[in-house]
Amino acid sequence: MIPMIKYWHVVRLVIQERMAYRANLFLEVFGGILASVIVVVLWTAIFRGAGTDLVGGYSLPEMVTYLLGAGLINSFILTTAEYPEASQAIQGGDLSGVLMRPMSPHLYWFARDLGNKGFFLMLGFSGYLAVLVFFRDFLLPPPGPGHLLLFLVSVGLAAVVQFFVFQVLGLLSFWMENTYGIRFAARVVMEVVAGAIIPLSFFPRILHDLFLLLPFPLMIYLPMRIYLGKIPLEQVPFELWKGVIWILCLVLLYRLLWVKGIRQYVSMGD
Amino acid sequence: MGRIIRYLRILSLLIRTGLMQQMAYRPHFFAMFAGKVIRIVLLLLFFQAVFVKVDRIGSWSYDQVLLLFATFHVVDFLMSITFHRNLAFYLPQKVHSGDFDARMLLPVNLLFLSSLERIEMIDLASFIPTLGFLGYVLVRLEFAFTGSQFLVYLVLLANALLFLFAAVLAIASLSFWTTQSGGMARIFDSLLKVGRYPIEIFEGYWRSVFLYILPLVLIAQLPSEALLGILSARAVLIATAATGLLLVLALLLWRAGLKQYQSASS
Repeated sequence: MIPMIKYWHVVRLVIQERMAYRANLFLEVFGGILASVIVVVLWTAIFRGAGTDLVGGYSLPEMVTYLLGAGLINSFILTTAEYPEASQAIQGGDLSGVLMRPMSPHLYWFARDLGNKGFFLMLGFSGYLAVLVFFRDFLLPPPGPGHLLLFLVSVGLAAVVQFFVFQVLGLLSFWMENTYGIRFAARVVMEVVAGAIIPLSFFPRILHDLFLLLPFPLMIYLPMRIYLGKIPLEQVPFELWKGVIWILCLVLLYRLLWVKGIRQYVSMGD
Repeated sequence: MGRIIRYLRILSLLIRTGLMQQMAYRPHFFAMFAGKVIRIVLLLLFFQAVFVKVDRIGSWSYDQVLLLFATFHVVDFLMSITFHRNLAFYLPQKVHSGDFDARMLLPVNLLFLSSLERIEMIDLASFIPTLGFLGYVLVRLEFAFTGSQFLVYLVLLANALLFLFAAVLAIASLSFWTTQSGGMARIFDSLLKVGRYPIEIFEGYWRSVFLYILPLVLIAQLPSEALLGILSARAVLIATAATGLLLVLALLLWRAGLKQYQSASS
């Protein structure tokens, strides 16, 4: 257990680093909150114009709850896609220093990502509190404690899936000089396919089924459907297992790329 | 005239160096290009998905919303290609690091250089499919507009670009006092997204804010309304006057900021 304490210190250090620029980062998160509120306003207008209580199987309170929940998850999961530590370490030659440390580079990066996510969760939650109060009349609680618990588990799985997706893309830096473009494209796809701006059930059937083959819906669409009780409680563990299988596949791919990449790594820099 | 030619030459040089810098990593260049095109396609799918369930957003039909969306992205790309990142992100970084000193010594207008130092060639490449998309929307609308409506549309596009330049310059100029304005720029970027939806989605004081205080209707809604023939001449005049006023204020802030600038380098 004691060897793991050093990773806890890494988590704390990242939070301290981020705290140094908290005002600027809060403004960034606030920008995300604004974007989320704009989408909520758009959907309110769509419901007003539709003249029905249900649009695409969602009531207005369900849609507002979905979008604000998606925004909150977005604020700490998707925002941290901007901090590709492994990619930067490989490109800049800092990987040599990471390898010299008496700790696993993989757990080190995982701990740093955890610190980043923890920091952005705190910022996002404090920012969203005002928004949640503003929309309190529209917000729905989960159907029961079981749904809430499984929702929290699914968010945890989402955070791990997101970490490994971007770690895998980051490891391409062993072969490519710049992976930002690929990570940018992945992030663009992730924002929509994760279900951040619209539940995926709104898309045509073929696209909906295609999107579900990717790991991204695990990040927002699945947790919010669990929260809203759109998935029967007994079916939720099956959906969560899919997330676990995705994580195992991504870990295997990560491991494969790491083993191949580290053999040809050349330390750059001073 | 000679001055204009000199600045056109400098611009041409900046475009060439931008292309060299950004094409140095070809896979990166093409992945970024693909990402930007995918983003527009996915947002288009979003609107399609919405319009499968409803007929209109406010009083806007599907084709009209597509025009608004395409117009917004034309302006957005023109801004991204030219001044957006230069002013919103790179200028505050240079002020923060003290690298701005070196720019002050160059025999070129500082605002010109600060706004156009890095021309985003990836966005320029992505702009072409966006223009194609606008063309597709115009075909869907069966080109049901007059020559003068199209001319007013182009004038209002230029007005939108000037308005955004003034707004971004004003935010960037704050970095001379704060040495950081990236967060403010991010908030502005998020607010800009309002511009791709009909203003009718907002009610009460929010609509007043986006009409009069931060008139984001200038970006895409007014040009689109001009093309659809539902915009009054008075609205065109107010739009250009509002942009002129903001531009004057932004330039005053820029000048005051330059006087305030204290080198941060060693």
